[in-house]
Amino acid sequence: MKLLATTAFALALASSAQADTTITYALWGSPAEGAVWTKIATAFEVLHPDIKVNVEVADWDSYWEKLKVQVAGGTPPDVFAMDAPLFADWQSRNVLLDLKPYIDKDPAILDGVYPITLKAYNTGTGIFGLPRDFQTIVLYYNKDMFDAAGLAYPTDAWTYDDLRATAKKLTLDKNGDGTTDQWGFWDGGYDMEPFWGALVWAYGGDVVDPAAGKTLIASPEATAAFQLFDDMWLTDKSLPTEQQLAQFGYDGFLSGVSAMGMSGHWSVPEYSQVTFHWDVAPLPLGPKGRATSVNSAGFVVAKDSKNPDAAWEFVKYAFSDAGQTELAKIGLAIPVRKSVAESPAYLDQATKIDHSLFVKALDYAHLKPVFKGYEEWSSAVGDALNTVWSGENSLQDGLAAAVADGDLALAKNK
Amino acid sequence: MLAFLLPTLLGLILGTFGSIFATIGISLTDWDLLTPAIPAGISNYTDLPADRLFMKSLVNTLAFSALYVPLTIVVSLAVAMGMNRKLWGIGAFRVAYFLPTVSSPTAVGLLWTWIYAEDHGTLNAIITAMGGNPVSWLGPKMALYSVVAVNVWGAIGGGMIIFLAGLQAIPRDYYEVAKLDGATAWQRLRYVTLPALAPSIFFQAVLTTINAFQAFDYIYILTRIGNGNSTMPTLVFSIYRTGFRFFRMGDAAAQAVVLTAIIFVMTAVYFHLQKRWGEPA
Amino acid sequence: MTRDKWGDVLAFVALTLGAVAMIGPFFWMISTSLKPMAEQFDMRLIPATLTTENYPKLFTIMPFHLMIWNSFKIAGISVIGQLLTCSMAAFIFAVVRFPGRNFLFVLLLLTLMVPGQITAIPQFIIFKWLGLYGSQAPLYAPAFLGGAFGTFLMRQYFQTIPIELAEAARIDGASLSRIFFTIYLPLSKPALAAFAIFAFLFSWNDLFTALIYLPSDPEKTTLTVGLALFQSQYGGQWTLMMAASLISVAPIIIAFFLAQRHFVEGISMSGFK
Repeated sequence: MKLLATTAFALALASSAQADTTITYALWGSPAEGAVWTKIATAFEVLHPDIKVNVEVADWDSYWEKLKVQVAGGTPPDVFAMDAPLFADWQSRNVLLDLKPYIDKDPAILDGVYPITLKAYNTGTGIFGLPRDFQTIVLYYNKDMFDAAGLAYPTDAWTYDDLRATAKKLTLDKNGDGTTDQWGFWDGGYDMEPFWGALVWAYGGDVVDPAAGKTLIASPEATAAFQLFDDMWLTDKSLPTEQQLAQFGYDGFLSGVSAMGMSGHWSVPEYSQVTFHWDVAPLPLGPKGRATSVNSAGFVVAKDSKNPDAAWEFVKYAFSDAGQTELAKIGLAIPVRKSVAESPAYLDQATKIDHSLFVKALDYAHLKPVFKGYEEWSSAVGDALNTVWSGENSLQDGLAAAVADGDLALAKNK
Repeated sequence: MLAFLLPTLLGLILGTFGSIFATIGISLTDWDLLTPAIPAGISNYTDLPADRLFMKSLVNTLAFSALYVPLTIVVSLAVAMGMNRKLWGIGAFRVAYFLPTVSSPTAVGLLWTWIYAEDHGTLNAIITAMGGNPVSWLGPKMALYSVVAVNVWGAIGGGMIIFLAGLQAIPRDYYEVAKLDGATAWQRLRYVTLPALAPSIFFQAVLTTINAFQAFDYIYILTRIGNGNSTMPTLVFSIYRTGFRFFRMGDAAAQAVVLTAIIFVMTAVYFHLQKRWGEPA
Repeated sequence: MTRDKWGDVLAFVALTLGAVAMIGPFFWMISTSLKPMAEQFDMRLIPATLTTENYPKLFTIMPFHLMIWNSFKIAGISVIGQLLTCSMAAFIFAVVRFPGRNFLFVLLLLTLMVPGQITAIPQFIIFKWLGLYGSQAPLYAPAFLGGAFGTFLMRQYFQTIPIELAEAARIDGASLSRIFFTIYLPLSKPALAAFAIFAFLFSWNDLFTALIYLPSDPEKTTLTVGLALFQSQYGGQWTLMMAASLISVAPIIIAFFLAQRHFVEGISMSGFK
């Protein structure tokens, strides 16, 4: 026991001789992401021998639970990852550090960063975070299923009507037992990302106006968009039901039962494990053109951090070309710097698809909404929409309920 | 005596302040986790009837418990009595019945979705083979029963352990005497086994009720609709979402107090039943 | 005697039928864990292609053995703490009449009924205040402060032991601790075994506490936290998922098999009453 204590003391001394400051960076992710971040942290420590970075990675649900307890308990991680839609929930409660004073001293760091990714964290009164990476949504398709049906692959001239018609053709009962075993498309139907948000925008509608406390998805344009979704799912039956999806672990594309699906770049590493051939295409055109959704993950610094300067140094490094290049190699997301997103580090990944497609999507992308109470609003709207897909409600009733419930959630989070 | 009770008393002080008082205290405030709590009187309680997630969860939880509690107790008691024999390979049997208790709900949940699946599910395959019509097991009509079945399946092992331990405390000569008196198997069960097992049954009733009101994992896995929502929300699900996801800890604490009060009343009822039952007929 | 034999046969048949329903899913987990990923949704119970590659692959993804050891250590310490402190308190509650006994007991039961989600933050603040944040102590230290489940379970069992035994011993001048250690504990082996299983299970399956109080690196964290992280990357790969699940339950099954033998060592209580 005594020996142990002495050793621990000696170790503590040794490490304090190397690093004066220890900071913690917490993020949600996978073991693979944790490994890459540890590498980035090590590279940072070489440049800053006085700072030691502890990388804390947890799965999505665990991450937010732990973070809330730690922040509420007064021991936040110094730097932590933020999902842009949830940013306002944290920023409005005054737990994040304003990074603007740091940025003002070093304004060049924002050069070459895609402007739309910076928008979410700039409240007008300050800049409470920096984007780490971003996601746009594209169409994934199973080439083997298209080949087997003798259909041409999706092109950038595709409309949503083409999507519907092709999905219907790809919905098959291959073994002839009277039940469908291959579907043309899949989606969960509750969350605006990946599918229905982009669909509503492409039809000229909008999703939500948080400042006015209004949910907008029952407008005539949005209703027309949802009508297409409704036709595909309930009339054509080109999508597996939620219960059918459950049997395949929820991702219809990954499990090889759906010919098409929409998703962000986050799916690429997982989809690269499958045995069938697949590729990506831009989202189809709607009556009002093409639209997709863009969402970023960012870095924020805790207001209660004891080492805000060291925390900022780390954010700055991870945000730099060097950090972003390393990050691009995970293959889950798109770097926020143009120089990196157009470099081989991002474009020449192990999975050979046209990665530039995700970057080009920024030209027609809408920002996924960022407002206080996003999660409660999204949950209320998703529950109401689900009653349409399960057949309990008509589309009109479901949309009306989604608007009513969504507005109620917005009011609660004023 | 104090030395024996000391650890528990210390734990109780922490537990009383850390959980009971904390929950009641938080329920009387508006607290969003990240900024200081604001006193709110009893408004969180008066708001509860208008909270749709909570009301739906309350109804689901009550219906679930009404089926789950008696079924779990009866089935695990029957299994324990079967297991309380010196049969060949009884150790293996006990392990077999214990397996569902320890299996990961995430892993086994997938299998249950296959068993309950509408098109190619195991259950519907059997029904159609016998000439019946396929049933939507996880649809609005049947979901409650399907979910109860899985939860009972997962709880038998735990109940079995409690009752097996309880059965060891019944002196063998009670049965010898009863047999000499010519008691039938039913009479031995009714007048020897059950009364002697009353403390275990009481314990199991309280614990199963607590588990029923705090049931979460299998229900969630079988009824989730992605995005973290569920078509059959339960009380702890509602508490977790309201507090941790929606930043409304005060409302969540009021829900927790209601949940605790229901369990407490149920426990008081069991206690009176046990007392009345324990008295000789 | 023959009627008992028939009872045995009947019980054997019924238990066998039930056992199929209980073991079935478990066999299917084993079978899926032995399939290559391409055949994961193939419903055959016997894999068409048999492979053990999933198991070694697990350990290259994460050092599960380190986390299993952490879980095992924490669960082991917790079981000892719980057995000791809960049975001591249960003994007092069952045997000694003292003012406030019922009130204390009800209070104890109440702590079991309050759902944990609300109390996570107050408890975090208490542990931080006690200086225990960042160590493994918050995971096992509470086990030494009694607990409602174990105290309730043991009290119920102690109540079935005739109180006359304790009273007689008292008249002979035996101290409370002597009565506890020489009469009550030896007579309660089945209940202690049952309780040990539960205490082990609770600690082994605890995700929340480990998540909140431990740093995430594999040298310090527990298996439940590691599995949750693992799922975030491999949730769609059921062959790996099943292998990971099996590895995580194997220690409990072994522990259970060892403990359950105490259920047959029924103590003859004849002559006590």
